[in-house]
Amino acid sequence: MKNQMLAMILAGGRGTRLEALTKKVAKPAVYFGGKYRIIDFPLSNCANSGIDVVGVLTQYESILLNSYVAGGSHWGLDAKDSGVFVLPPREKDQTEFNVYRGTADAITQNIDFIDSYDPEYVLILSGDHIYKMNYAKMLAHHKENNADCTIAVLPVPIKEASRFGIMNTDETGRIVEFEEKPEHPKSNLASMGIYIFNWKLLRKMLNEDDKNPNSHHDFGKDIIPTLLNDGKRLFSWKFEGYWKDVGTISSLWEANMDLLYRAKELDLQDPNWKIYTQDKSAVPQYIGETGDIVNSFVDQGCMIDGKVDGSVIFTSVKIGKDAVVKDSVVLPEAQIGEGAKLNRVIVADGVKIAPNAVVGDPNSEEIQLIAKNVR
Amino acid sequence: MCNALGIVNFPGSNVKVKGMSDYRPIAAFSFLGRYRMVDFPISNMTNSEIEEIQIYLKNRPRSVFSHVGTGRHYNINSKRGGISILYGENSPESEFYNTDIASFKANIRTIEKSNKDYVIIAPSHMLYSLNYDTVLKAHVESGADVSVVYKAVDNAKTHYHDCNTLLLNKQKGVLSIEKNRGNYKSRNISMDTYVLSKKLFVELIDEALKTSSLFWFTDILNEKCEELDIRGYQYRGYLAAITDLASFYEANMDLLNREVAEDLFKEEWPIYTRTNDSSPTKYTTDAKVRKCIISNGCCIEGEIENSVIGRGCIIKKGAVVKNSVICPNTIVGEGVYLNHVVVDKEVTISKVKNVQGMFEAPAYVRKGDRI
Repeated sequence: MKNQMLAMILAGGRGTRLEALTKKVAKPAVYFGGKYRIIDFPLSNCANSGIDVVGVLTQYESILLNSYVAGGSHWGLDAKDSGVFVLPPREKDQTEFNVYRGTADAITQNIDFIDSYDPEYVLILSGDHIYKMNYAKMLAHHKENNADCTIAVLPVPIKEASRFGIMNTDETGRIVEFEEKPEHPKSNLASMGIYIFNWKLLRKMLNEDDKNPNSHHDFGKDIIPTLLNDGKRLFSWKFEGYWKDVGTISSLWEANMDLLYRAKELDLQDPNWKIYTQDKSAVPQYIGETGDIVNSFVDQGCMIDGKVDGSVIFTSVKIGKDAVVKDSVVLPEAQIGEGAKLNRVIVADGVKIAPNAVVGDPNSEEIQLIAKNVR
Repeated sequence: MCNALGIVNFPGSNVKVKGMSDYRPIAAFSFLGRYRMVDFPISNMTNSEIEEIQIYLKNRPRSVFSHVGTGRHYNINSKRGGISILYGENSPESEFYNTDIASFKANIRTIEKSNKDYVIIAPSHMLYSLNYDTVLKAHVESGADVSVVYKAVDNAKTHYHDCNTLLLNKQKGVLSIEKNRGNYKSRNISMDTYVLSKKLFVELIDEALKTSSLFWFTDILNEKCEELDIRGYQYRGYLAAITDLASFYEANMDLLNREVAEDLFKEEWPIYTRTNDSSPTKYTTDAKVRKCIISNGCCIEGEIENSVIGRGCIIKKGAVVKNSVICPNTIVGEGVYLNHVVVDKEVTISKVKNVQGMFEAPAYVRKGDRI
């Protein structure tokens, strides 16, 4: 069967503001929600939306992402006609070897890959957003409008609109103007960086953009404005649901807390839209004689002998007797010693907190990242 | 790489778990919330680098087929090796004839086709973790015809009822194999785990059929104790034999003890299972949990003590679960009190507020029941 729509996930982001969490891995590979990595969300969305072939464009620290997504079996994308392909920049015949110069350039450099599937449509996604979306519905909307490009938009509070790329639309949802971080926003519809293009048109645009020396080779800055200028049919597709770009330590913490306090919006237990991830062989969670868990999210493999309250605890974490973990996120295989007290922190994977250590501050606004062992 | 064909065998009529075995073979029993019994022998085999595995079933194969699938989650190289699920193609006139020997005979070609020189047979109703490659090496070195793995126990009066026991001489030669009737405290419990050459295995199958149509593999070995060099191989780790509901319940309870669990679940010896892609488990502000094992995908609003909770269970507010084993996808409603109960899969308990059994005789709630 011919693949009607191919997905390309932009996963090159470094995520500098996530500090030590992105020292060795790209932002899409950062842990979220007790057992997942952020890129599990767009990949699971693809699998659940019936998209069979996904290209993952990597650049910064791509080794872990390579081994993690390659093959696609975690998301069931490993049937005969499907696959997940990791696409770092590569050397090609008669062109200069170059890094991806921008989001659009990452696609331009893989035109040959996309052509080999001869798709009608191409879906461009970002690998570092947390949300559940049915791209099949978005494609149906795209076809109904006979659009050249459809952009998913999210209504945001108008006072925050100046932080986003804002789409101004007419009453039919057709985009008439795009403003990047406008000082005086005319609408509250923020671009989610999710685009469906007719491949033929996008292919032509990318080739032209490639030759333009003044271009940033970026979708938001170059491709979308050019399409609008050319009078192409660009439509918005309104998404209503949970969406988060976890750019900083505190927004990553907040997104994890949303699982406890906004569970209705981001339901990870919905059997009809599961989020798939790598399966780890771990025993179920053990809660000891002195263990106590309230208002928390805990994954398999954990050994809990202390108190956990208002926290998200990832795979195979050990929490000792009399330890108290409050309002915190503890990443895989971290060990919290007996009697240690944690408040409002993210503990990086594999970190050891010594017995009786006190980490974080319940009265602080800041969320502290604990990336090194604490004695 | 291990030079043996792995065979996961089904148990004889001495094993009968009231209620639960009406729905599936013991191989497919949910165990410790997230596993199925068959995960243990298969993981032992793949960890021992056995590449070819056959799983024999008597009946109701559906749940084993869907759980085992291609076997990729057990770390099997799907090109070089493989896993196959087999059962006697000819349905016998009577359940009496449905022996493991009959099943092996029906599939003799697939056994002969294997290019391995040895077979290792393990049962699906026993839980232990053991390196079969080590046993095979010891077997080859000893020069014995057959090696039988056993554990020496001193609680055979109250446990391991109807399990096979080995009568051994000082050189660990097997003098005879007999059933444990609970008359003695100390016995060598046979783990129904055998190592022998494939050639002898095929000969024994034919000989068994010639002797009696009702013979099981154990029976022909017992017949041959004098003629063949059959020796015991002692195992010293954790062993549970699931022969009835009480032993199923007790094994789950045993593993709540962390030291016992560490004896079965070793870091370098993972027990694999099929993922269900469940999310982590959610605990609400009303949750109260103490000494328990909880699987992923649950929502815990009530109180749980000394219990095993399977995947995707919901324990509602005000519910109290004590000393119980709850199989996957079960809902325990508000204000329900359970003590010493085994609850099968996909049960909803809401109207009946109190179910209690005893440690020696746990109560059982049937699969899919609404009570």
